[in-house]
Formats: sequence, structure tokens, C-alpha cells
Amino acid sequence: MKKKIISVVSAGALLCSMLTGCGSSAGGSGDNGELNVFVWTEYVSESAIEAFEKESGIKVNMSTYSSNEDLLAKLKSESKGAYDVILPSDYAVEYLIAQGNLEELDKDRLTNLVNIDETYLNEAYDPGNVYTVPYEGGVACIAVNTSKVDKEITSYADLFDPSLEGQIVVLDDYRAVIGMTERSMGLSMNETDPATLAEVEEKLLSLKNNIKLYDSDSPKSALISGDCSVGMVWSAEVALSMEENPDIKIVYPSDGAYVFLDNWAIPKGAKNYDNAMEFINFMLSAEAAQMNISDFPYLCPNTAALELMGEEYVNNEAKNVPAEVIESGEFVSYLDTDTLAIYDDMWTKLKQ
Amino acid sequence: MAGKRSKHEFRANTLPALLTVGPVTLVMVLLIAVPLIYVAVMSFCSIDEFYNVTFDFTLENYVRLANTDYLKIYAQSLIIAFLTTIICILIGYPFSYIIARTKSRKKRILYMLVIIPFWTNSLIRIYGWRTFLGSSGLLNALLIKLKIVSEPIEFLYKQGTTILGMVYCLIPFMILPLYTAIEKLDGSLLEASSDLGAKPVNTFIEVILPLTSGGIFSGSLMVFIPCLGYFFVSDILGGGNSDVIGNLIERQFQSGNNWPLGAALSIILIIVTLILVKIYQKLGGDMDSLGV
Amino acid sequence: MKRKKKAKRKKGLSFVFCALVYLFLFLPISVIVANSFNATTTKPYMSWKGFTFDWYIKLWENSSLVDAFGTTMIIAIVSTLLATVIGTLGAIGMYRYKFKGKALIDGLLYIPVVIPEIVLGISLLTIFAKINIPRGMLTLILAHVTFCIPFVIFNVRARLSGYDNSIEEASMDLGANRLVTFFEITLPVLAPGILGGALLAFTLSIDDVIISYFVYGQTKTYPLKVMESVKSGVAPDVNALSTLVLIGTILFVVLTQGDLFKKNR
Repeated sequence: MKKKIISVVSAGALLCSMLTGCGSSAGGSGDNGELNVFVWTEYVSESAIEAFEKESGIKVNMSTYSSNEDLLAKLKSESKGAYDVILPSDYAVEYLIAQGNLEELDKDRLTNLVNIDETYLNEAYDPGNVYTVPYEGGVACIAVNTSKVDKEITSYADLFDPSLEGQIVVLDDYRAVIGMTERSMGLSMNETDPATLAEVEEKLLSLKNNIKLYDSDSPKSALISGDCSVGMVWSAEVALSMEENPDIKIVYPSDGAYVFLDNWAIPKGAKNYDNAMEFINFMLSAEAAQMNISDFPYLCPNTAALELMGEEYVNNEAKNVPAEVIESGEFVSYLDTDTLAIYDDMWTKLKQ
Repeated sequence: MAGKRSKHEFRANTLPALLTVGPVTLVMVLLIAVPLIYVAVMSFCSIDEFYNVTFDFTLENYVRLANTDYLKIYAQSLIIAFLTTIICILIGYPFSYIIARTKSRKKRILYMLVIIPFWTNSLIRIYGWRTFLGSSGLLNALLIKLKIVSEPIEFLYKQGTTILGMVYCLIPFMILPLYTAIEKLDGSLLEASSDLGAKPVNTFIEVILPLTSGGIFSGSLMVFIPCLGYFFVSDILGGGNSDVIGNLIERQFQSGNNWPLGAALSIILIIVTLILVKIYQKLGGDMDSLGV
Repeated sequence: MKRKKKAKRKKGLSFVFCALVYLFLFLPISVIVANSFNATTTKPYMSWKGFTFDWYIKLWENSSLVDAFGTTMIIAIVSTLLATVIGTLGAIGMYRYKFKGKALIDGLLYIPVVIPEIVLGISLLTIFAKINIPRGMLTLILAHVTFCIPFVIFNVRARLSGYDNSIEEASMDLGANRLVTFFEITLPVLAPGILGGALLAFTLSIDDVIISYFVYGQTKTYPLKVMESVKSGVAPDVNALSTLVLIGTILFVVLTQGDLFKKNR
């Protein structure tokens, strides 16, 4: 028995020393402090982060979220100062400003702001860009695998067709899916009237049989692998899946798309404000923006980066979302608690 | 005199009791009792326009959860847990029986082989199933190559796949107590039964089953309850189509952003758990055997 | 004759059945191992593109993954040590002394064992948020210690139930003081129970994802890192690390349970 115990202990000690060894070997940079970045999954390029770490000597800890609601929940539950940089969409920015939860940006240090196309500045959710600067944007559009689907799909409304049973991957994001349903009925994505919402619910539940998978993080995986042949997903996810599988085609819905614009911001009480400013300015540079859109080809407000990417990118309508799609689309806005409870119940019913 | 005696009493009993039981009491009270009470309180709270918890008493959360749509999800969750438990028994019982009754020294190796897979991270094993079962996964590739099917079969993102994942994650909790119970069986008893002319079926029903029922009960409890909470299994393999109660709770604490509602859901889950534990105790189950 | 044939068939049948169950248990593991050698470089890393060792080399460059693994180990070791000490003392104290509230503590101990992990996770999250402790290493360790303690206690208690108090009395009668008696007599008797509990605690801690998921802040453990990579497609380097861990644990078993494989035991 004793022998057995000794061998266990020595093996344990061996394991420990092995592990503490690898624990300390990692993490080279970080001489100039840290930066806790909280961004969307599959949205910010690893190479851009590495380039920033190299240039600044700041160690970046990146965490990811799958929806604006996840971001807001985390900001609320974590202690103040847990994150230094966040990447909320339009309506989440509106909410965070209303709650007084963002730090003002020091504009003097954003020397690269000149790279941003003015059409994307001064949006209604943050007039004068006091708290945020735009990163990338896009729409929730439709992906169709033409080798598997005969039906012609041109709008959100077409997704409700019974012939698509068990074939669709949709975003695991209730504002996007319910918003899409509202658009398909000719309504606004921000309906609040309970009677109208009851109709929306009925329509939404008719989508249930068509949905195979809910995935916000990487819906392209299911499209590429062929698990799903139709998708209601973020535009760049379609663009990326098209590169892997040429049968996939992008469709901008004729009923007016869900449009989003994501923005860099610094939450109130951030511990590394200076590093955060340096990071945001770096991300606005043409080179960083180029790395980001190369990996995640969304609508890019950074004109300098677009120049670097050249004609091919600008003319690729899956990547560089056409201006008329954006114009005919709609932004989501923040809803009151009672309405959100209705949305939440709808979503729960859909997912049961 | 009295003072001296109580001092002695203190040194002999109170002090060592305090030193030994103090730390565990502190942890259990501060990190189990207090948080759970707080969750219970929170389940009667409301939220303000910014989703912060406000402490005005309301029954609204429970009213919302008594809705038929939520009841359907609880039912679905219980069905998934029930089927998982049944499958675990059907696979686990004969399996444990065979390895526990193996006579040679291979027995311990066979036993270790059950445990080893569970030292690999459970998420990545579940993801392994997803890779294996996908449309372009190995299984479909094999089936197509063997000309059994011409088009890939859709295995993923169904309730069945969720149950598969649950069975996979939880089956050791069934096998281990069964193994222990069966190993304790007295071989001579079985021989006696068959010597007395009992058919193997009768021996099984009248002798073996009653003697191993403790293992079945504790195994079932340890499979059934976690099943209600394993949200990641239904996320990865069910594709969001076969939510369990755990998914509902997770959603309210993340994207749903409604902690009081999530707290109320947790209280419901606690109540379900307590009922199951009570049934288990009624059946003569031993609580200590659950943790060993 | 007929009987023998039947017995043989039965044996064959049970062999096939067991083989199928083991196949079921090891199938995803083999997918993980196979994928760690997959030369594919495009997400979602599912189709086979040829054999390579690259991911094992890349593993050493992916410092965040190795870091997370180190974090997991530190948390597991610290929580196991704390839970073992607190749990062992608690088990002995509860066995030996009578005090008010004993039944309550006893009841509380069952909670982490039976209650679904998610409830424990959110209850810790709400209380940590309430008293505003920054989430991170500290909260992870607190959480892990909490759910590990009962498993240590139950294992030690199982050992205590067959324990004969009189040897301790004898030791004290012979002039040994309480502390010496504890280390020389009590501890060695309880050692297998303590060790069993500690191993269980360690295993639970390294694989915990649900409870950690709610209290981690910025400190990512290896399971949480895997959870994050599951979102966008598990890269083969995660598989490579899992394979190494698997090999490590098998080596650990062979080292500690070496007599298993010897011909004559």
C-alpha cells in the first residue's frame, strides 16, 4: 500500500513540475501592461491583435461574446473595470450611453480616425462620436446552397416556405431572428405593440420546422460542411463560406435587411484607459483594418484599408455590402423591458 | 472550580471541534447556503429599465414560468433526462455485470478503460461526436463509401443527438455504482439459486435485481439530475432545438439578461432535484454513496 | 454438450456487447486524436486533408492555450489541496464531536453533490456580483474548493466508519499528545480515503466547465478555452493538447497502477 501511495505522489509531483514549467514559459510580451478586450466571436483578426502586441508591448487578453445581449449581461455581472475595450453594435451603444456606462474617447489620440468614411460617423446612436468609433458593419443576409435548394430565394419571407423544412441555420440572436420575421411581414424590427407582436409570434413559430441549427458564432461551419443548405447569417459568414463552397450564393433580402454597425468603445471604469485608446487607434489604422477585413470580410468604413484591398474587394458584393442594401435596411433599436419580455417569451417558444 | 472545568472542557472538546469543523462550516455556509438563499430572494425580485435587479417583491417571475410554453420545456427536459437514464441502465447494467463478474485480473483493466475517456475534457469529446456525425463527417463518409446510402444522413441537431451526448457524458455515473453493487454479489447465492432449480431469468429477477437495486437507484439519480442542467450538450449536439432547463437558466443569466427570472428557474430546478432525492431516500438510497 | 455450446455463445455475445460499449466510449476520443494530425487549415477543421505533426509544433506557439492549461492545473492543485485539508479535518470533526448545527452542515454537504452544477454556478455568480469580488483566479478557486469538499468528506467518512477509536486512546495513554496521535495514528489509517477523495476532487476540478463558466472573469481555464473554440470550430491544436493530456493520464495510470499489467500480482 505504502509503495502505491509513494508512486502516486511522485507521479503527481512529476506532473505538477511538468505543468508549472509550461505555465511559466508562455506569455512573452506584456512589458507595457495589459489590455482586456471583449469582442464578437469571429470578428477581430488574430494577426491584427498580434501586430498590436508586437508594436505596443501590451499583452492583449481577448474574450468573445455571441450577441449584444451577452455583452451587456457580462458588463453588468462582472465587477467594474473587468474590460477595457468592447465592440457593441448600434443599439447596444445607445443603451450603454443612456446608462452612463461608457468613457468618453480622447479624440486627440485617435489620429487614424481620418481613415473612416464620414457616412459612418455621427450616427444617431452616438452623435459626434463622443463615446465610440465605427469598426465594421454588415447585414443579416441569406445564404443559399444552390446545389441543394431549387427554390429561388430572394427575401426573408421566402425562408418561411415549408419546402425548406429542417434546412436552415439561423443566428442564435433573438433580435435578429424576430427582426427578420417582422421585416418579412412588412413591419419594423422594433415593433412594440403587443397585438402586432402576437401576429409576429405566430409567423415566427411557423419558422420552427425550417430551422435546423441556431448558431451565431460560426454559422459558416454548418453551411460549408453541408449540414445546412440555407442560412440567415451575418454577411461575412456567407462571404467566407462562398470561398470554401462555390455552390453557396449570397442573397440580400428584398424586404429590407437587418443592418448593424459595430463600434469600439471603452466601458466606464476601465483599468487600462491609455492602452485602450492606443488599441482603438491602432485598429483604425489602414493596416490593422486590412488584416481584419481580410479575415472577416464585412462592410468596412475604413477607406484607407479599402484602398489597400483594391478593386476586387470593393466590387465583391458579398464582402463589401452594396450601399443600397444598407439604405433599404433597418437598424435595431433598444426596447423597453415589457416589450423585451414579449420578445424573450417568443424566443423561448421558438426554441423549445 | 467550575471555571477550571469549563476551561478543560474548552480545550478538550470545543477547541478541537472548532478547529476541525470550523473551516468546512465557513465554506458551506458562505458559499452554499448564503448564495442559494440569495438566489431564492432574487427569484421574487424585479428588474428596472436597465435590467438591474431591484428588490421589490413580485410573484411575476413564477407566473411567467407557469406558462404552458415553459411547462413544455420542463416536460421536454424531463423526457430527455428520463430517456437518457433508461438508456444508461439498459447499456450500463449488462455491461457492469459482465466486467464485474470477470474472474481474471483483466477486470481492473476493463474497469480503468471505462474511466480513462472521462479524463479528457468533456466539451471536446462532445465536439468529437459532432465531427463524427456531421454531414461531411466520418460516419456519413463511411456509409456513402459502403454504398449504404447515397446522400448523407442528417444525424445532428435533433433531440436524439442530444440524448446521445447526455448518455455519453453521464454513463460512467451509472456504470460505477452498478459495478460496485454487482461486485458485492455473493457468487454462492447465485449458485444456490440455480441449484434449487431456478431459471436464470428468475434468479435475475428474484435474487440479483433486488440485491443490486441500490446501484440502479443511485446511478439513476446521478444521471437524471445532471441531465436537466447540461446546457452545453444540447447546445453543441442539439443545435439549440432541444433545450433543457439548464439552457433556460443559462440564457437568462447571459443574453436574456433577466437574473430574477433565471433565479426563479433555478429554484424550480432545485425543487425538482429535492423531489427526486426524496424519492431516492424513500427507495432506501444511501446519500453518502452518491459522493464516493 | 449442448450446454457447453450455449455457454460459449453467451460468452461470445457478452464479448461483442462489451466491445461495442468500449467502441462507444472511445469513439470520440479517437476522432480527437485523429484530428490532431489533420493537415486542414481552414475552419471548421472537419474534413480530412492529410497527415501532419504541425499542430503539435504550433501548440507551443499558441501560448494562450498552454497558458490556460497551466491555469487549470494551478487551480486544480490549489483547490484540491485546500479541499482535502478542509474536508479531512471536517470529516474527522464531524465524526468525533457533537455540536449544534451538525445536521445542517451535513445537509449542506449533499447540495453540491446532487444539485445540477448550473445552479451552483449561478448562485456563486450572483453572490460574487453582489459583494463585488472581481471574477478571476480567486473566485474560480473558491468555487472549485466548494464543490470539491463534499467528495473529500464522503470518502474520508467511508474510511472512518470502520475506524476503531481505541487505538487513538491507546496512543494517548502511552503518552503521545493529541497532535502526535493525529499525525502518527489517525492520518495513516485515513490515508486511502483522503487520497481517493483528493483524486476525485482533482478530476472534478480539471474538467469543470459549467461552474467555472459563470465565475471566470478574465482567467480562462482549459475547459473554458475549449468552450470558446467550440464556438468557431475546434482547431486541431486543441485536439493536439487533448491528445497529450490523454497520453499523460494513461501514463499516470500505468505508473500508479503498474501492478495491473504485471502477469503475477
